[in-house]
Amino acid sequence: MNKLKKSLALIATLAIASTAFYACGDDSQPANTDSTSDSVSESESESESESESESESESDIDDPAPSAEIKVPETGDKLSILCWTGDDVEKMIENFTDNTDYTADQVEYVNVGSKGGEAREEYANYFAGDEDADLFVLEADWILDYINNDEYTAPLADLGFSESDFDGCYDYTVSIGTDNNGVLKAASWQATPGGYVYRTDLAEEYLGAKTPEEMQEFVKDWDTFTATAKKLQDDGHKIAMADTLGGMWQVWQYNRAKAWLDADNKLIVDDYCKTYAELAKDYYTNGYVTKEDQWSDGWYAIGQDDSTMGYFFCTWCLGKGSMLSNAEGGEGGKTFGKYNITAGPSGWAWGGSWLALSPKCDNGTIAHDFIKYFTVDATTAKDYALFKSEFVNNPDVMKSIVDDGSNKNDLLGGQDQFSVLYESASTIDMDGKITAFDAQIKDAFNQAVTKYAKGDIASYDDMVTEFKTNAAKIEGITVE
Amino acid sequence: MATAAQRRIKSVSYAKYGYMFILPFFVVYFIFSFWPLIQTFILAFSENGTRTPALIGFDNFKTILAKPAANDFKAMGIHKSFWDGMKNTLIIWFGNFLPQIALSLLLAVWFTDLRVKMPGKGFFKVVMYMPNIITAASVAGLFLALFGDSSYSVINTLRGCAMTKEQLLAAGLDSAPEPWKIITTCWPSRCLVMFIQVWMWFGNTMIMLMSGIQGINESLFEAAEIDGANSTQTFWRITFPLLKTIMVYTLLTSMIGGLQMFDIPYMLHTGNVVNDYIKTVAVFIYEMFHSNFAKPSFGYSAAASVILFVITSILGALVFYVQRDKDAIEKKKKQKQAAKEWKRKQKGGGFSI
Repeated sequence: MNKLKKSLALIATLAIASTAFYACGDDSQPANTDSTSDSVSESESESESESESESESESDIDDPAPSAEIKVPETGDKLSILCWTGDDVEKMIENFTDNTDYTADQVEYVNVGSKGGEAREEYANYFAGDEDADLFVLEADWILDYINNDEYTAPLADLGFSESDFDGCYDYTVSIGTDNNGVLKAASWQATPGGYVYRTDLAEEYLGAKTPEEMQEFVKDWDTFTATAKKLQDDGHKIAMADTLGGMWQVWQYNRAKAWLDADNKLIVDDYCKTYAELAKDYYTNGYVTKEDQWSDGWYAIGQDDSTMGYFFCTWCLGKGSMLSNAEGGEGGKTFGKYNITAGPSGWAWGGSWLALSPKCDNGTIAHDFIKYFTVDATTAKDYALFKSEFVNNPDVMKSIVDDGSNKNDLLGGQDQFSVLYESASTIDMDGKITAFDAQIKDAFNQAVTKYAKGDIASYDDMVTEFKTNAAKIEGITVE
Repeated sequence: MATAAQRRIKSVSYAKYGYMFILPFFVVYFIFSFWPLIQTFILAFSENGTRTPALIGFDNFKTILAKPAANDFKAMGIHKSFWDGMKNTLIIWFGNFLPQIALSLLLAVWFTDLRVKMPGKGFFKVVMYMPNIITAASVAGLFLALFGDSSYSVINTLRGCAMTKEQLLAAGLDSAPEPWKIITTCWPSRCLVMFIQVWMWFGNTMIMLMSGIQGINESLFEAAEIDGANSTQTFWRITFPLLKTIMVYTLLTSMIGGLQMFDIPYMLHTGNVVNDYIKTVAVFIYEMFHSNFAKPSFGYSAAASVILFVITSILGALVFYVQRDKDAIEKKKKQKQAAKEWKRKQKGGGFSI
């Protein structure tokens, strides 16, 4: 009797203690390392009889997609799309489920991290767990890390896509989505040309510019831009022309002829960096740019209190609920609708997002239909472009929207931003200009430039030393 | 005469059940604490930039500790960040420990003094402890909103940095004042972190010191009072010497905590880059393996952790050495000597009386 009690107590204790190990087990997911690998084993390991029957009944109702080519199993009951922000994905799901037979509970947005940089790391942790992961969003700053790693991304061919399906897209998005072995791994639903977004009321009052075309004359190149900034200060208006140093660098970075790293992953610091650093210092000291940080609350506040004439914004900053909306104080805000867009001093593009396929994907048909909806299919892409004010990844669609004149952006007082950005979109060439380390190198550079502009670092040479010293800590690049 | 049952019970050894009950703790400890500790030491001697590193010997320590060549940016970056971090850690720790202990001691003495009949003691104790239960993230957020670099932070708004042109005109000012950049300027940012640390921890230290003071025999205070000692004398002659043990404990925990300071220095920044002037060693360790997802530098992080561990151990030993009970040691020595003497005498025979 005593023995029984004791052993019972022991078992109970061990049982409680064993809960400490919960979630520590390695679920040893099948590594889908090459594109030809059979995915049957995966489907077996993850299938549940219940969900299987459910998905079968679904596929009966749904449009018969070219399922013969889809190598991804159909065992999941929900398409999970991972991203670090709901800004895009939630709108996409809304638009997708509104216009297809899929219901809202078949597609779900999963938040992974709260910033792009965080998500980069969180994805890897997330994939190591048991949770459902079908599609996920990658950012230009670090997409190369993921698409060149077969552990994390599967070829889009597994969903039945071929490269020719994306012929209608901007070429650069396809080449960035292609890995080092020439396998297409990710598709983008957007192109990201940028312009200069300015306050119409202030431009008219201070500069006499009544239309975006007239305003463009004041900002047509960097010399003119600087001259205009100087004029505003000389006239005693206490207003900056550019929003933040971070925002200015996005424009300058795009126009740099070289990537941050050469073929041997060696850091390139050229005269272009010097020109920019001197300009940044000049702007900062003279008040041509505000002293706020990009991505801080102050970045938005300057849009409402006449601290800045305008912002450098690109396509994804101009939609509902995006950065421009924040800068205007939201609907009914102080400066709501008081902005217009012009091309600005130089054409540029900023980042961009790609949809990639997880090797764990278990909803082949929906995943296929979702990607097709936003990237391949011109009709639905156009619908989404108008729905979200998104610059979709299809020149023909964008051309037809511009020609229709059907797009009116309330944030821009009814102006059609696409007509301004369409021209510069065709010249975007980011291929070969991005590296896997861009996010960190950019941070190190901007930090050094800000210190130089503020006066914490005395000379440009010291600034370069500081930048190089910080960048050199990044494992995998060489600095000389 | 014991019955058979009684005899059996006597022969049962309960020790093994005791071991069985504490076994789960040791299993968990070995897996989640002890093995990671060993692993850190192994990683300290391993290469960087990969998740499956091979051993490379002392290179990581050499890079961190030795002065690098002028054109070796990589070594310079790591060497400099580590030592800057060490400098910042020590500055911020001293700057927060000294005021913190002084403030806590003062308040603890007041709160426990028999002669000071302070009303609402319980209320003050709770209020002073309160900052400690707020999460560091909220504290950092709060202080960023109050003392941030932006023209729109509370302090800069109060100074009028965010005034519009109309407001400036109305106030008769030419231009708004330049915003104070407290967060990204060297000493102001350090002082802010020191202040936050003091504010967060003085309540905790105060409670600890109070329990120490209350542990002192009350009759000593009463005797002192009867003998006519004033409060200063009571403090320096009775409270302080008898509080030594608890002070050593506070010093030690604060030192270990201070050397590992991470949360506030890491979170007190806007944008993507942690402020250089308050970057501590712990932040350096975290950043080295964390910021580069594809190629984590586990080696440098682990080596820096080991160096920190050694420094902590040395400082801890030093504190114990300085604060050791000299009388007790002396006594022990004498005892030993007496025993030796006695033994020698025994061997020698003859002389015993």
